[in-house]
Amino acid sequence: MVAKLEIEPGSSNAYHTGEWRTQQPLYQNKWPPCSQICPASEDIQAWLALASAEQWQAAWHKLTERNPFPATMGRICYHACESACNRKHLDSAVNIHAMERYLGDMAIAQGWSHRPSCDDEQPERVAIVGAGPAGLSCAFQLARHGYSVTIFDDQAEAGGTLHSAIPDYRLPKSVLASEIDAILALGIELRLNSRIGEAVSESDLLDQYDAVFLAIGTQQPRLNPYNNGAEKARSNHSVMSGLEFLHRLNRGEQLAIPRQVAVVGGGNTAMDVARCVRRLGAEVTVVCAQDPHGTHHHELGTEMPASLTEVVEAEAEGVQLIYRAGVHRLVRSGDHLSGIEIAHVDRVHDRHGNFNPILFDGTEEFVAAGLVIFAIGQESDWRGLEVLQKTTEAEGVWVGGDAVSKSKLAATAVGSGYRAAMSMMARLKGDAVIPDEHKKTKITYREMQLHYYAKQPRLEGEINPKRLDGFKEVVKGLVDDDSATHEAKRCLSCGVCFECDNCWHFCPDAAVIKIEGGYRIDYDYCKGCGICAEECPCGHIDMGIVS
Amino acid sequence: MDKRDPFRHNVLTSGHRACSGCGEAMAARMVSDLIGPDAIYINATGCLQVFTTHNQQSAWQAPWIHSVFANAAAVASGIEAALRIRGKETPIVVQAGDGGTFDIGLQCLSGMIERGHDILFVCYDNEAYMNTGVQRSSSTPHAVRTSTSPPGRLSQGKHQLKKDVISIMAAHHMPYAATATVAYFPDLKAKVEKAMTIKGPRFLQVLSPCPLGWVHDSALSVTVSRLAVETGLFPLVELEHGELTGVMRLAEQRPVDEYLRPQGRFKHLFNSKNGAIELRHLQALADARIRRYGLLDAETEWDTDRAMQSERHGRGGYCERRSHGS
Repeated sequence: MVAKLEIEPGSSNAYHTGEWRTQQPLYQNKWPPCSQICPASEDIQAWLALASAEQWQAAWHKLTERNPFPATMGRICYHACESACNRKHLDSAVNIHAMERYLGDMAIAQGWSHRPSCDDEQPERVAIVGAGPAGLSCAFQLARHGYSVTIFDDQAEAGGTLHSAIPDYRLPKSVLASEIDAILALGIELRLNSRIGEAVSESDLLDQYDAVFLAIGTQQPRLNPYNNGAEKARSNHSVMSGLEFLHRLNRGEQLAIPRQVAVVGGGNTAMDVARCVRRLGAEVTVVCAQDPHGTHHHELGTEMPASLTEVVEAEAEGVQLIYRAGVHRLVRSGDHLSGIEIAHVDRVHDRHGNFNPILFDGTEEFVAAGLVIFAIGQESDWRGLEVLQKTTEAEGVWVGGDAVSKSKLAATAVGSGYRAAMSMMARLKGDAVIPDEHKKTKITYREMQLHYYAKQPRLEGEINPKRLDGFKEVVKGLVDDDSATHEAKRCLSCGVCFECDNCWHFCPDAAVIKIEGGYRIDYDYCKGCGICAEECPCGHIDMGIVS
Repeated sequence: MDKRDPFRHNVLTSGHRACSGCGEAMAARMVSDLIGPDAIYINATGCLQVFTTHNQQSAWQAPWIHSVFANAAAVASGIEAALRIRGKETPIVVQAGDGGTFDIGLQCLSGMIERGHDILFVCYDNEAYMNTGVQRSSSTPHAVRTSTSPPGRLSQGKHQLKKDVISIMAAHHMPYAATATVAYFPDLKAKVEKAMTIKGPRFLQVLSPCPLGWVHDSALSVTVSRLAVETGLFPLVELEHGELTGVMRLAEQRPVDEYLRPQGRFKHLFNSKNGAIELRHLQALADARIRRYGLLDAETEWDTDRAMQSERHGRGGYCERRSHGS
C-alpha cells in the first residue's frame, strides 16, 4: 500500500501566463495584392482556393459574384493581378487569367447558371443604357438581388465594345454570347436597336424607372487631326478610324486592304487594328508617340499605353513599331494616299495633361502606306442623353463604365457596373453600401515567409502555331483539370489563412487551439512571443498591442 | 485535465513558466505530443523540469518523475527493468537538457545505452546552462558569449568547440541516434515515430533555441533553428548502429552570418578584427560538417525545402481527431 501524498499536485493550467504578455497575436484576413489591383475587385484568392480543391462550380460562383464574364476576361483582360502577384518573388506569378478562363469555359461547356443571391422580388425597376460590360455587370448584380432590369442598346447585338471591337483571335464571339446569355437568363429584359431619344425618350426613362444607369461607353472615335478642309472633301477610303475598322471587320465585312498600312496610336486599339491588318495579309507599321515599355518605369504618359503582352504578341506577328513619332502630314498624289510623313515627338502631353505633341522640324521620315488608320482614342456619344447626363445620383441616374472611367479596361467597366449596382440598391433600400468583407491592408512578400512554399513551374496555355492564318484564337486554355489544380495550388493565399498548422505546431505554450476550420488563441496562456506571426507563411497573423 | 484541443493531447499543457518564445518548451511539447500521454517521462534537472513543475503545479498530463541532475538515465533504467519484470511495455522517455546529457548525465546515459535498456533519451540542446544564468556547457559552440565565457581583450567567447555528442552516442553502437530541431516539424515527427518503433536504447538530440541565452528576439526561435540547419552548423542526421543512415540535404547552403547576426551571443564577433577570424572559423566549421555528412550532395529527396513545405489544411498532427470533451 503506497501512502497518499500529503500535497496533491495541481495543474499549471491554474496559472495564467497570459498576464505576462506585452503584445498579442491576432488572426486577420487581408486583401491579397491581386484582388487589391483587380479593377473588378474579384476575390481571386478565394476562387483559386476552391479550384485547388477541384470544387469547380463553387469556384465559378465565387468568381462570378464580382465578374460574370470569366471566359471573356480570362482571354482579353490584361491581368494586372499577375503583375501584383507576390509569387513572382518566389518563382513566377500564378497564371490567374488562364484559371479564370478555364472556369469560364467549363461553365459554358457544363451549362452552369447563375444563382440569385436572394429570393425576394424587389418592386423597383431599373433601366440601363448600354449593353456593354459595365451595363451587363450592373444588370447582373441587380437581377441577382431581385430587381427587374431593362437594358437598352442602339446596336443589333449585346456586348458593346467586347462585341464590336475585340477581334476574334482574342475573343471568339460564341464565348461572349454564351456568357451574355447566362446573365440574361436571370430574367433581364434586353432591348436592342433602341437608341434613347429615338426608340424611347429620356423623360419616359425617368418616369417609368426608379433608377437609370448610363453605361454608354466610348463609341465615338476621336477625329483624326487631318479631318478638315481639303482633306475632308477627299475620298475617305484611305483614312479610317480604328474603331470603324474593327466594327466593320467584326460585322464580317470583307475589307479590301492595300499592301501597306500605317496605324497611328499607341494604345490597345492600335494593337488590335495592327494585328487584324496582319491577318488580312498586309504589312503594317504602328506609329506611336510614346517610348517603348520599360524605358521610363511606367511613368505616366511617357510609355506607350498598350499592354506589354499585346506589344509582344504584335511584334511576334510581324507588326513594325516606330516609337516617339507623330504624323506630320498625309502624303498624297491626287486622291491616292502614298504614305505619311512622320517626325520625332518631343513632348507628348502639355502642362494641362492633354495629348498635344510637339514635332521637331527636320526629323521628318516617310512611311509608305495606302491606308492610314487612326486609333488615337475615342469619346462618348451623349447625343439624345442631354437631360440624363445632367441628372445626379440623388435624382436617380448613375453613370459608369468607359464613359466616366479614366482606365478604359473591360474589367474596370465590370467593376464600375458592380459599384453602381451596389450604390443603387443601397439608395433604393435606404441602407448603407455593403462593405467589403476583408480588412483592406496591403500585404507584400516581405510580410510573408516564402521559404514555406515549394517552387512550382507556371503552366501556360499553348500558342496556336498558325496564328496569322485567319482569325482563329491565338492562345489556348489550360489543357486539363490536373494543370488547372496545379496552377490553383500555386496561389500563396497572401494574407488569408490556409490552415497550414504552423502557428499551432510552433506555439511553445499550447495557446493556439486547432478548431474545425481554423485556430483560436487562448489568451489566458499566450505569452505574446510572436512566433506564430513570424512563422505564418502568408502573413495572416498580426502582432498588436494588448487589449 | 486540459482537453481544450480536439486535435492533440497537450501532454505538456499551458501555464508552464518557460520564457516567452522558449524553444525547449516548443520542442518538448512537440515530442511529448507525438509520443502521447501513455508513456512514462523521466526528467533530469534543468530548465524543462523547473518551468514545468512550479509551486505544486505540473504542466505534465502524463506520468512524470524528476530525478537529480546526473542520474535520469539510471532512474529510467530502473523503471524499465521493473516494468519488464512485470511484463509491461509502457514506453519510457528520458528528457534532459544539454547539461544533463553532455556533462553531468553523460556517465549514466552511457551506462543505460551499454546495458541496452528499451528507453528513448531526448536531449533538448540549448547549448548552455540557461536556467542558472547562462553558464557555458560542453555543448556551447565555439566563440559564444556566456556568463562564464565572456569575450574581452584576450577572448572571443568560449575557446573550445561544441562536444560532438551524437558521435559519442553512435560510438556506443546503439540502435538509433538522431539529431532534429523545432523548425522542421515533419522531420522531427518522422524521427520520433521511427524511434518509437525501435527496441533498445535510442537517442534524440533536439536543437532548442533559447531567446534568453542566445539573446535573440522571442519571435525568432524557429527562424534561428532553421538557419542553424541551413548554414550547416547543425546537421540533421540519423545513425543506426554507428552507421550514417540518413541526412537532411541542404537545398541551399546559407552563410553562417545569417545564423549568427540575429543572436546577441555572437554580437562581439562583428566589427572586431579578432572576431572576424572567429567568423571565418565558424564558417570553416560549418563547411567541415557539410563535407563530413555530405549535406549538399546526399542522394535523398528529403531536403530543407521539402521539409519546410506548407500545405493547405496542414501537415497533419499528433493523433487522430478526438471528439470534444472525451
